[in-house]
Amino acid sequence: MKRKQGMYVALAAIGAGLAVTALILRNYSISNSLGGALMGVGAGLCTMGLAQLLTLRSEKKHPEQMKQNEIAMKDERNVAIRRRAKALSGDFLQWVVMAAAWLSIGLDAPLWVSLLAIMIFVFKNIFELFLIVHYQKVM
Amino acid sequence: MENRLEELRKERGLRQEELAEALEVSRQTIGSLENGRYNPSILLAFKISRYFGVPIEDIFIYEEEPL
Repeated sequence: MKRKQGMYVALAAIGAGLAVTALILRNYSISNSLGGALMGVGAGLCTMGLAQLLTLRSEKKHPEQMKQNEIAMKDERNVAIRRRAKALSGDFLQWVVMAAAWLSIGLDAPLWVSLLAIMIFVFKNIFELFLIVHYQKVM
Repeated sequence: MENRLEELRKERGLRQEELAEALEVSRQTIGSLENGRYNPSILLAFKISRYFGVPIEDIFIYEEEPL
């Protein structure tokens, strides 16, 4: 618990640090995109850390609820549901990427857009094949 | 796959919540098992079997589908 707490405090602090750095560097020679990226990542990390800290605090106050949350997290049916949802959404996403590739060709978008979409599709399928081979060995 | 989970639970006067707590699963999982919407892993099937002191094949009834 304390280790988790420390990790989330560090996460929030790093996030806040990045956001403050972006604000300070705004007046110097930093580009808009770099400043925006720093601010976005910083705000995201900070919010995530704080949200996790609040969750930990709430769990400390309500240990029964914490136990229920833990059971719900590890529950085999919930795990199976999450895995199936992830697999199906991943499958769906790959066809969306492919559709985007065709659309970009049809709309005469820059070549790199079509190539990027095709590369993502190919990479996803190679990675999937790699995972299938891996799981065939270990299962 | 059919099962006698609901029957065994009611015989012992347990609520779904109590059985779920004893088996360390969610109440929804017990509901799904009882309705036959979800088939448990072999580990959970053993846990259920041990909890009720009844062999697995007496709780979960497997019938092969005709070819």
